[in-house]
Amino acid sequence: MTKPSIPVGIICSQHGPYQAMGREILKSAMMAVDEINEQDEFDFSISAHVRDPRGIISEYHTVCDDLIRNVGVEHIIGCYTSASRKQVLPIVERTDRLLWYPARYEGFECSDNVIYVGASPNHNVLPLVRYVLDNLSREIFCVGSNYVWTWETNRVTRELVTAARGKILAERLLELGESAVTHIVDEIVRRRPPVVFNTLVGSSSYDFIRALHAATLAAGLDIPMLSCSLCEPELKIAGPASAGCITSSAYFESIRLPENQAFVARWKARHGEHSSPSVDGQSAYVAVYLLARALQRAGTSDIGEVRRAAAGYRYNSPQGPVWIDGSNNHCVLTPRLAVSNAEGQFDIFWEAEAPVRPDPYLTQLDIAASPARDGTLPNAPHLRVVK
Amino acid sequence: MSKPSSFSLRGRKALVAIKDERDAIIVRRQFERLGIDIVIWDGGATIDCRPDVTLIDDEFLPLTSPAQRASLGRSPVIALLGTETPSRLKLVLDLDPASFLVKPLRSAGIYAALVLAFERRERTNELKQQVVKLERRLRSRRVVLAAVLQVMHTHALAEPAAFALIRRAAMEQRKTIEELSAEITAKGSLPRAAG
Repeated sequence: MTKPSIPVGIICSQHGPYQAMGREILKSAMMAVDEINEQDEFDFSISAHVRDPRGIISEYHTVCDDLIRNVGVEHIIGCYTSASRKQVLPIVERTDRLLWYPARYEGFECSDNVIYVGASPNHNVLPLVRYVLDNLSREIFCVGSNYVWTWETNRVTRELVTAARGKILAERLLELGESAVTHIVDEIVRRRPPVVFNTLVGSSSYDFIRALHAATLAAGLDIPMLSCSLCEPELKIAGPASAGCITSSAYFESIRLPENQAFVARWKARHGEHSSPSVDGQSAYVAVYLLARALQRAGTSDIGEVRRAAAGYRYNSPQGPVWIDGSNNHCVLTPRLAVSNAEGQFDIFWEAEAPVRPDPYLTQLDIAASPARDGTLPNAPHLRVVK
Repeated sequence: MSKPSSFSLRGRKALVAIKDERDAIIVRRQFERLGIDIVIWDGGATIDCRPDVTLIDDEFLPLTSPAQRASLGRSPVIALLGTETPSRLKLVLDLDPASFLVKPLRSAGIYAALVLAFERRERTNELKQQVVKLERRLRSRRVVLAAVLQVMHTHALAEPAAFALIRRAAMEQRKTIEELSAEITAKGSLPRAAG
């Protein structure tokens, strides 16, 4: 007997400045859809309707409207940047649909029509900056893409650094897709900051990483780079220059969990031995599974029922156990810190002892608290790889 | 103790007066996410708490009791608007709101309204203190003028030099110019010239 089909929209840009990440999200989401459609566990199949806004911000509204009006989807998976999420938010709220948003983001939003599957600010920027303050430097040079992700990440960083009596040496912004990075690289070489925090997105980030690596090599400098978004496919794009970047993320390909090892094996069988899943792609995979399990438990695609069924349901995902905190629709997950290596992978040197509740408004943030004092982060002067 | 940041809302107390149950649910849920404690007010005669902020539905307006108006005046007010008609806005303006939200409510906007309200109250209080200080200085201007004239006469100085002499003496004696001027005019004593 043919199983009933539930239409699900997938919105991700496969062209434009952050096409690489959009393609990763699509590949992972489709992998989950295909797996679910083959499993007897589910008494329905998912019919994926993919739309490509091509990185054009106004197109997100158009494709979302099309999915809701013409296809009749109740659930949409996708969007990468916060700017794109803000474009579709009014439509999904007005039509009472549910957006399953896979990317880590800057927080300060809590819509009843969004399930935030990626990391919240207390999962990504907080552990990273506190690690840096306790182990590397109290002075940070910030470079980022000129939109809300960088603005808010920089604000939180500034508050933490200022409370530690440190200093933000500079905040340099580039428009999305901008490749003219030389003036910023020159300034960094001239000023020699102890660390550079890179919140650039997509091609700008790869151009910057390569240019800074070449310039610091020529000048005989060793300036560590920080990131809350860099992932394995991007390490491959940026090349050997991307080694040594201290990165905060809930997912790395190198996580030593049986669920992840099985996921990576399936991924490589599907996409090639030399390909790697990404944090946002893996999160899209998790989003599809959370949606499917909630649909199965709810027995309906009604968004209120599905949201209730999703809340608190624990899923042993590739990144470890995750579940949706029903009080704010954000994901409970395990923060990790790692450093990128020359093989295009990350060596994990810290992870939280248990999954951490999301704090999208940073209400639990104690600016003055030090990770060295609360014992949750390493304060050794040297990085230690967790095996 | 340092004052709390307007961006950090955990532990604040809000007085909430909302008619529509759906709007009330949204506010309760969002306040819980933000770590804000809620005290519900049904529009009764007395308000027996000292909130950090008040959310009031325009359907509760006008407030007839002077005690109610005085209670609400002690903390920033966020008005919930159901209509934008001038008659209703006039009632809202009587509360001197620090921020507003438009009904029906959604979770987006509530955090911003709270932050704006706390920040507006903070800046208004700073401005009020500045006004009090300036008013005090304005009142003492006559005394300073009298002191300057006295010093001009007794020391045969021009007005800028006389004022400079008073200012220098005030600094040496760790007094304000206004305080020293009052002494000059009251006692007739002149500030000692420095070194």
